[in-house]
Amino acid sequence: MELFTHRETDPAAVSGRPGLPLSGRRVVIQPNMSRRGWPCNAGSRALENYTALEDAAIIPRLEKSGAHLAGNSRMSELGFGLSADTTVQALIEKEADIALMTDTMGEARVAAARAGIFGFKPSWGIVSRFGLIGLVPSMECYGVAAADPADISGVMQAISGKDDRDFSMPDGELPDFSQEGKTKTGSRRAGIVKEMLSLLTDKDRGLFRENLKMLGSAGVEVVEVTFPEFELLQTAHQVIAAAEASSSAGKYDGVRYGYRAPGAKNWNDMYLDSRGAAFGTLVKAFLFQGAYFQFENYAAFENACRVRRRLVRSMENLLSELDLLVSPTCRMVRKDAAPSDVRGAYEEFILTLPANLTGQPALQVPGDPAGDCVGLHLTAKRLDDSRLLALGRRLAASRGAK
Amino acid sequence: MTFKDRSFCGTLGEPDEGRRVFLAGWVDALRDHGEVIFIHLRDRSGIVQVVFSPETADQEVCRKAGLLRSEFCVRVSGSLVRRAQGTENPGIPTGNVEVMAADLDILGRAGALPFQISEKSMVAGLAGNREESVAEDLRLQYRYLDLRRPTMQEHLINRHRIVKAVRDYLDEQGFIEVETPILTKSTPEGARDYLVPSRHYPKNFYALPQSPQLFKQLLMVAGLERYFQIARCFRDEDLRPNRQPEFTQLDLEASFIDEEFIYRLFEELTARIFSVGGVDLPRPFPRMTWLDAMNSTGSDRPDLRFSMFFRDATGIFSETRYGIFRQILDRGGCIKGINVKGQSARLSKNVLQNEYAKEIVPGFGAKGMTWMRAVNGGLESNIVQFFSKREQDEIVRLYEAEEGDVILIIADPSWKLVCSALGQLRLHVAGRLGLIPGNIFSPLWVTDFPLFEPVEGGVTSSHHPFTMPDRTDFDPGDIEELLSLRSRAYDLVVNGEELGGGSIRINDTALQNRIFKALGLSENEVEEKFGFFLRALEFGAPPHGGIALGIDRVVSMILGTSSIREVIAFPKNRSAFCPLTRAPSTVSAGQLAELELLDLGGAALLPGTKEQEDFLDSLSWVSRIRINGGERAAISEAVEAAKSCAAKINAAAGEEEPMFSVAPASNRTRPGNEARESRFAKEQDIFRNAPEVKGGFFKTASILE
Repeated sequence: MELFTHRETDPAAVSGRPGLPLSGRRVVIQPNMSRRGWPCNAGSRALENYTALEDAAIIPRLEKSGAHLAGNSRMSELGFGLSADTTVQALIEKEADIALMTDTMGEARVAAARAGIFGFKPSWGIVSRFGLIGLVPSMECYGVAAADPADISGVMQAISGKDDRDFSMPDGELPDFSQEGKTKTGSRRAGIVKEMLSLLTDKDRGLFRENLKMLGSAGVEVVEVTFPEFELLQTAHQVIAAAEASSSAGKYDGVRYGYRAPGAKNWNDMYLDSRGAAFGTLVKAFLFQGAYFQFENYAAFENACRVRRRLVRSMENLLSELDLLVSPTCRMVRKDAAPSDVRGAYEEFILTLPANLTGQPALQVPGDPAGDCVGLHLTAKRLDDSRLLALGRRLAASRGAK
Repeated sequence: MTFKDRSFCGTLGEPDEGRRVFLAGWVDALRDHGEVIFIHLRDRSGIVQVVFSPETADQEVCRKAGLLRSEFCVRVSGSLVRRAQGTENPGIPTGNVEVMAADLDILGRAGALPFQISEKSMVAGLAGNREESVAEDLRLQYRYLDLRRPTMQEHLINRHRIVKAVRDYLDEQGFIEVETPILTKSTPEGARDYLVPSRHYPKNFYALPQSPQLFKQLLMVAGLERYFQIARCFRDEDLRPNRQPEFTQLDLEASFIDEEFIYRLFEELTARIFSVGGVDLPRPFPRMTWLDAMNSTGSDRPDLRFSMFFRDATGIFSETRYGIFRQILDRGGCIKGINVKGQSARLSKNVLQNEYAKEIVPGFGAKGMTWMRAVNGGLESNIVQFFSKREQDEIVRLYEAEEGDVILIIADPSWKLVCSALGQLRLHVAGRLGLIPGNIFSPLWVTDFPLFEPVEGGVTSSHHPFTMPDRTDFDPGDIEELLSLRSRAYDLVVNGEELGGGSIRINDTALQNRIFKALGLSENEVEEKFGFFLRALEFGAPPHGGIALGIDRVVSMILGTSSIREVIAFPKNRSAFCPLTRAPSTVSAGQLAELELLDLGGAALLPGTKEQEDFLDSLSWVSRIRINGGERAAISEAVEAAKSCAAKINAAAGEEEPMFSVAPASNRTRPGNEARESRFAKEQDIFRNAPEVKGGFFKTASILE
């Protein structure tokens, strides 16, 4: 399968600007991140033949930092899950240094874990999503994957920051990535959620314990904590994400862009047929779940949002006495077990999706084995992104030293 | 003060001059002239002016009068006087008199009104001062205030009179009113049922009646002979602007009768109720078979207020060399047209060709339209050169074309399509050119409907499966023969609207069973759905028939209101929602638990069952995503999983405010206050990604087929 759906060929663009933090770094983006003139179909027939009319907010910011855009990878439909995604593969094949990926359930982190590299999801609301074609607005964000955590910091420094064109961005302080190199990580305490452990096989647990040693040698104390409603994180995520997906996929009407089914006799048939053909089975099943919450059981959506508030607060309470929560990034699975249904997709991201629900920053740190998963997944307080990345760099350094 | 000697505002007049009157009602409007205060006092009967003046009322009464505001509920006594010359108000029937108040009680104060209620100006010469643009949902939310308006009261009073006229007449004719159940079993009208869960039989449901059809037939079996009911019916249909989820119908059935009885009875009844609204219906009502209606107007509910009837031109073109017609006729098609008399000047070539032929008629489903104008004794058109002289002459003769006439022709291999498209065109042209006279009522009986309609792989009843066919010797397996059967059904149509319909029913079990067989129902299905009814037919069922009339619709037509909601006291809005009570609404988990509905279908999959299929189809419809072959099982499973998630979340919900975003944004506005056009719109870049564009617009399929 082709790695790229579009490659930058203009030699001037390929060289990037010299003497800047990201000079010489090649960034691969997904085709749901608007780059003027590049195909931008978000992996879906719903945007068939779509070409971006303008740049997403992050594009000029990356370019100003010296990075150059290598091209568009392949992605899963509308960024839901990882099936057919080649973004991180471009790093493995040395075609790019940094990957930007939509992270809705943990896609960037899990892809990074499988490739044995670093993967980062920032706090929700610190990077403008203007120009990002998404599915689940209250949870998704740009994720960054790279072998070197310094590159992740460099990208975050470049792309984070206020933007008037993203109306969903909250006010208030943002993490300061420029000071990150100097951040003292101090002694840290990390918690392991007991309820999470019950999701792991013995083998997963063994690999996880091995990886935890990294933290120990970086001076991080690990304690066991309890989060009785841990299981609800997944359910709340699913209910809210499905409802938001159904709502935000409403714009794919086959009128202004995307696939139009031929021969419809009237307006309703045009919508039914076009949208019926526009979405693949996985996304369609997810949209039907969302339609169920939107139109048949809206109370469940509201209730999921009530539960969300409680879960966010539980998380804050836990982290009032801890600096981090730690878990594996992804369980070991059979290599080719591609999830074909929504349930399977959620199973795959069960350890990473809590951070999307609660809007916290999370970092995948490669462990042993590098690849095939487990990894180490660190979740910090909201807006504590910079300290989390600093710890990531220390762990990378100690790994390098080993 | 008591209410004992109360007079009614609207009934007062000069004969009452000098009388002391006791009144009660609402302050419709008021004018404060400092010392003297005038109010319009309104009760159901009308309005009278009341004057509070220091000359006739003591200080305390005048002080209280100063507190009055619109819609205060008050009691007033005073003496009735003739108004001073030049101060009469011809805008109200009591405008020559007024009441000089002596006493005043404020019975109820009113807060700020959501909209104005008063419809009558206090000053002569001014029209009613009500603003017309009150949003309907606001009116419905405060319906009790909206109903204070004399117009609305008039509607309800007239509705009462109409219904009473129905009851009186049917009583005279020996009909008795019998109530049938509201909690009942699903009936076969074909719309969705409203369901009511049963607590005693968990996970079992009553259905609200879509009509009392089976019960009224059972009443005939029971020997009631002549029954009627002003019945409430419920249908969970798709939303339409002039449709209510519940509606009232006059339901009627009689034994030992035939069609003529129904026609006679119902013409008299219809004439009586229209006369309540001052409308004299021409009688006897004309009758038209369904086939004639289709052939001459393209509709099974023809609007006969204007003619412009179809004429069939198929024969004229049997030898034609005009390729398009040739091909259509070779495929067994037909050619029909209408003559729009004398409208040539208003139907320009541009309108005919670019609007009608290219846009409007294709919207009606036809591929095209042929137009010709009668000019200088011949025909003029963009295609007339393809017609032979003989064909042109015969067209002129067939359509009796005269100078200034426009002939519109539609040809298609499908007779049905020609009728339907030309029928819509007939209405469109007549509406556009104002050829439909107002204020006249054209009733009509449409008869001899097809008994069945074709559906994929079989037939379905056009009316309902209890309708008597015109002959009974048919083979229930022969679809072609079934489609040729006519029913003994009749519709009452007025001005192109179906007001009612009915039929002579089947009273023979064997025949009824053959109809079910023709419909492809298995014996089990028949037994499950209609077993109780078939059993009743086995006990000496008399020949019988009946009819039903939509009361809301007929009252609305008689009173000339803009929608049926104007003649219903507490209607739902266009979205089937009641803004007053906010129904439908969620119910507590406790109520659902009691009904054992909390986890309905939650854990247990229901794939393949009809209910689940319908549910998926309704989700498919509301989300406008077609389920394609092979996806159904996966989607069904996903929706079941969503139900489980919902059950789990609902059980854990708690009482906190929902969190829709972990870090909510504050409200923002774009800088500047001028509307700006997006540069992509200005430079038309937005069309670059569009699948279909036409002349600076996104092109879509038409809204209607």
